[in-house]
Order: sequence, then structure tokens, then C-alpha cells
Amino acid sequence: MTRKILLLILSVATLLPLAGCHEVTEYADDPRGNFEALWEMLDKHYCFFDSKDIDWDEVHARYGALISPEMTREQLFDVCAAMLAELRDGHVNLSAAFNTSYYRAWWSDYPQNFSLRLIQESYFGFDYRQSSGMMYGMLTDNVGYIHIPSFSTPIGEGNLDYALHYLATASALVIDVRDNGGGDLTTVETVVSRFLTEPTLVGYISHKTGPGHGDFSEPYPIVYKPAAEGRVRWGKPVLVLANRSTFSAANNFVSIMRRLPLARVGGAVTGGGSGMPYSSELPCGWVVRFSACSMLDAAGESTEAGIPPTPGYEADMDPEAALHGHDTLLDTCVERLMADFQ
Amino acid sequence: MKRLTLFVLCAVAALAAWAQGETRETPLRPVLASYTLSVGSARVTDTYLTPLTYTGWHTGVGYTRMQASRWAPERWTAMLDTRLWVEKVENPPRTAAMWSAGIRAEWGMVRRWALPCGLTLAAGPALGIDAGAVYNARNGNNPVGARAAVTANLTGFASYALHIRRLPVTFIYRPSLPVIGTFFSPEYGELYYEIYLGNRRGLMHPAWWGSRFGLDNTLTADINLGTTSVRIGYEGRILSTKTNHIVTRNISHCLTIGVSGLWLPLSGRRTHARTINPCR
Repeated sequence: MTRKILLLILSVATLLPLAGCHEVTEYADDPRGNFEALWEMLDKHYCFFDSKDIDWDEVHARYGALISPEMTREQLFDVCAAMLAELRDGHVNLSAAFNTSYYRAWWSDYPQNFSLRLIQESYFGFDYRQSSGMMYGMLTDNVGYIHIPSFSTPIGEGNLDYALHYLATASALVIDVRDNGGGDLTTVETVVSRFLTEPTLVGYISHKTGPGHGDFSEPYPIVYKPAAEGRVRWGKPVLVLANRSTFSAANNFVSIMRRLPLARVGGAVTGGGSGMPYSSELPCGWVVRFSACSMLDAAGESTEAGIPPTPGYEADMDPEAALHGHDTLLDTCVERLMADFQ
Repeated sequence: MKRLTLFVLCAVAALAAWAQGETRETPLRPVLASYTLSVGSARVTDTYLTPLTYTGWHTGVGYTRMQASRWAPERWTAMLDTRLWVEKVENPPRTAAMWSAGIRAEWGMVRRWALPCGLTLAAGPALGIDAGAVYNARNGNNPVGARAAVTANLTGFASYALHIRRLPVTFIYRPSLPVIGTFFSPEYGELYYEIYLGNRRGLMHPAWWGSRFGLDNTLTADINLGTTSVRIGYEGRILSTKTNHIVTRNISHCLTIGVSGLWLPLSGRRTHARTINPCR
């Protein structure tokens, strides 16, 4: 009797888990398995197939034909990287121990329009302030200047207070985010809050709700609040300078600033990168990063293709003038700003 | 007046006698408590973080408490089971690691049946609370898979006492099976940044065996060495969830070792009342 009861209990305890566990798709760690895992991962999670009009099945057929069991890891990497380049997205990378793939055409096909050395040398004579990753100082014509090279480094509230207080006598402020490749959106919020006077709708975020290419959630509104009482805020004209290498979180920064009444965006079209990247991996351990959540601007429009400057503020940096110490992009846009707000 | 005084005295004496009898018959309800350390293997899957199953080690500490209930000590036992654990697991090519940590508490009340063959069976309802997280440092915007659940569980035990070479040993098998409840999961491609922004829609999901299956199995042997016992045994835990096309699995198999004892409250040690073992 005891034996039968114990046998029954043990059988139930052993068999129940087998029936209860949910299935997970598994891929072999060989060229075909890794390729299929990569393709399916993007197929289910990537968020810009429809807006970029990409036929991902056709891409599978084209690149899948290049996969063979004998190929080396480096050959497999090259095929996978080429397939990912079809997405035309600077947020898509494949990382192995020997290489990381990037889609570079989003910036390499455009003029750089920025030289940090030129600003440091010709406009400040190497006499500028640096704090929390920012470089700032006073330009001629009583215009303040802050260069933010990245949003990856957190910018402290106290650092911003010092910088804005130092430039408080300026009649206008330039925030230069040229070559800023992005970083944390929370850092963007910290900076933007200094230019707000009331809670402001700055954009929307939408995520995938399922594996279908069109499975998206209702865009969720993002509202930023002004900086807390006691913090230094800026209420005078602002010029945001951007180039094609203004990407990701910096692109988001521009999309917010351009809608503020006293702000203008000058320079060139930004690099885009409005998809929040998501990370995963292949059976062989290579890391995959790709856009998974679409960030929209306050008008509900995608900025993945980049943000154009404010009309009248389009400018390029003349390389020849740069040799003589002039950043024509900066000079042209400041001149236009001063004319606009006179 | 004399009659009234006599009546009151008789009533008080009768009441005192009855109360004394009650005190004598109130059984002692010692607590069977255990403190254990578990070490073993772990398998972690979370398709929100990675499609690969990671494997590694699991370690945890546990505290269990069983006591015959106050209101029906002959038949019902109150059980408390709390565990805290940490896991470190690696992906198959050993190029990335994840940490998983959690806490679990379950409180239940089980009905006991003492079978003539010496086996005691018990079963009853319990309330379970789970919380924890899996952390994958390599992921940028999706580094964490959070776990949280409140469930109504089915729990119980089977215990059997015997002597092995004159050494009294009690075997206790304890399963715990969540039946219904609610649990946390982000949506398919939802980043925690969006939750941080304030979008908390659709985060809690109904838990049933189709969406969240869990089973804890504990088989222990308490080797009595006097007032205290050495507890050794096996702990197995399976938790599998599927919602919003996200599948998670945590499976661990552990060797457990610790101490247990049938401990009396200080107030009960001087009485000669009957003692009720909560697992007999």
C-alpha cells in the first residue's frame, strides 16, 4: 500500500513538469542554424520593415542561398553582415570576437560638417570649460556655446547649472550636437528640461506586440517636465547644430528641441536612428543589436530617416574656409539666428 | 443571600475545574522548523533576453516551518516555506553570463491523514508570492527580465518515519503546485524604458497552467540526533511561463543540507500535555 502511494506520488512529480513546460525554438550551432536564428530574430522583432518597404522573405532567399555547411565562421559573418545591411539601419550590428558589423552608409555618404579641433582652436583658442562631458564657452557676439559630444555620459544637474549660469549673460545659446552618436534618453531629458516652462509632449514610443511585421502597440505619449525649481533654465533663443552623424538619442534631442518656440535647428539633416535598439544573440554567441521600438516625434512622425534643419538654417561647413579657421556652418546659422530674433 | 453566595461559589468552583481540565487537554503544538542551504545546477531561458538556454549553478537558503493548527490541531497543519536564491548561468558557447536571483514565500494550511501503513499524507491550499529578476549585462536596452507573481497553490506533504540501524529518520516529500494567480511580464518587444515612462498597461497576466506552470519538489530525510535533526535531501524547481510570445523557464536541481528540529515554545515545556507532531 505504502509503496503504491509513493510510486503514484513520484510518477506525478516526474511527469507533470514534462507536460507543463512551454516550448522554446532551438537552433543548431552551425552555419544554417545561426543564419536561420538571425533571420527569424529580425523577422519577429525588427520594427521598420513596413516603413522601409523591405521584403525580408526575399532577403532570406537571396542570402540563404549563400550558406553552406563548410563555410568558415568569418565567411558566415560576412554573409550575415551583408544581410543586415539590407535594413539600412545604423542601430543594427552583429558582434563577434573578431569583428563588429556596421551599416555605415547613413553617414559615410554625407559631408562630415564638423571639426572639434576647429572650434577648440579657432573659436576658443583652447580656452574653454569642460564638465560632465560638455565643452562650453562664450563665442564672439555674446553667444554662448555648449558642445555635447555624447549622451552616453550622464550630465549632472549641477554641471548644467554651472554651464548655464556661466553663459547667462549671452543673448543666445548654441548647443552643438554634431557628431553626437547618441546615448541615454534620460540624459536627453535632463538637458531638454532646462528649456521647458511647462510639461511638454515630446514624442511617442511604440513597441512590437507580436512577431508580425505590423504588430505594434498604440503609441504611448512621452511628456517631459521642466527642470525642478531652483535649477537654472534657459529662456532665450537656442540654436541646435546637427550633422549627419547626429544619431539615435541625439536625433531624438533634435526632434524635441526643434518644436520649442525659441529653438532653431541648423546645419544638415541628422542621421536618424529613431528605433530603440534591442539586444539578442545567436547560437554561436555572436551578439545582435537591432531597432525594436519606434520613437516618434511630437507630431507622431518617424524620424528614422533623419531630421532636416529649420528652413533657412541649412548650411554646410566649407572645408576650405575651415583651413582658415572658419566653421561656416556655425557662422551662417548663428548669423541667421541673430537676424531672426533681433 | 446565603443561597446566592453558595451558588456563586459553586459556579466559580465548577468553572475553575472545567478550565483546569481544558488546560490539561490543550495539546502542545511544537514547530517543525528547518534551515537549509541548497547547491546545484540551474537552467534559465528567457526569450525576452535571449533565445538561448543558459546553464550554470544555483545556490539558495531556505526556512520552513510547520505547526499543527490552533483550531484543529489533530487534522490541520500550517506550513510556511521561504527561499532566497541566486543563480549564475552561461550561454552554450560560454561567451556571456546571466545572473538570476529571487525570493519565494508560500503560506498554506494542509489537512493531514494518517494512513494505517504509517504514511502521513497532507494536502491543502496555499498562497505563494514570487519575485526576482534575470540580468544579462551584455544587453543594452533589455538587460533585465523581471519576475513577480502572486498565486493560489496546491501544496502538501507525505511523511514516513522509520529506523535505519536504530537511527530514527523521517522522510518528507513536499510538492507545491501553483494553480491560479497573476504574474508580471512586459509585452513582446516592450522595453523597460517605456514602463519607466509610465506605460503600465498590460503588465499583469492571469496565471494558470497554460501560461505559468511551476512545480517545486522537495524530498528530505531528517536524521534525528537528539533534540535536533540533520536534514539532507533534494530540491527541484521548475517554473515555465508563456505570455505575449515570451517564454521563460527556470529549472534547478539541488542537493540540500541543513538542520531541523521539533521545537517547543518555552511556555509549553513544563506541562505534560499531549504533543502533536505537525507532520504525523
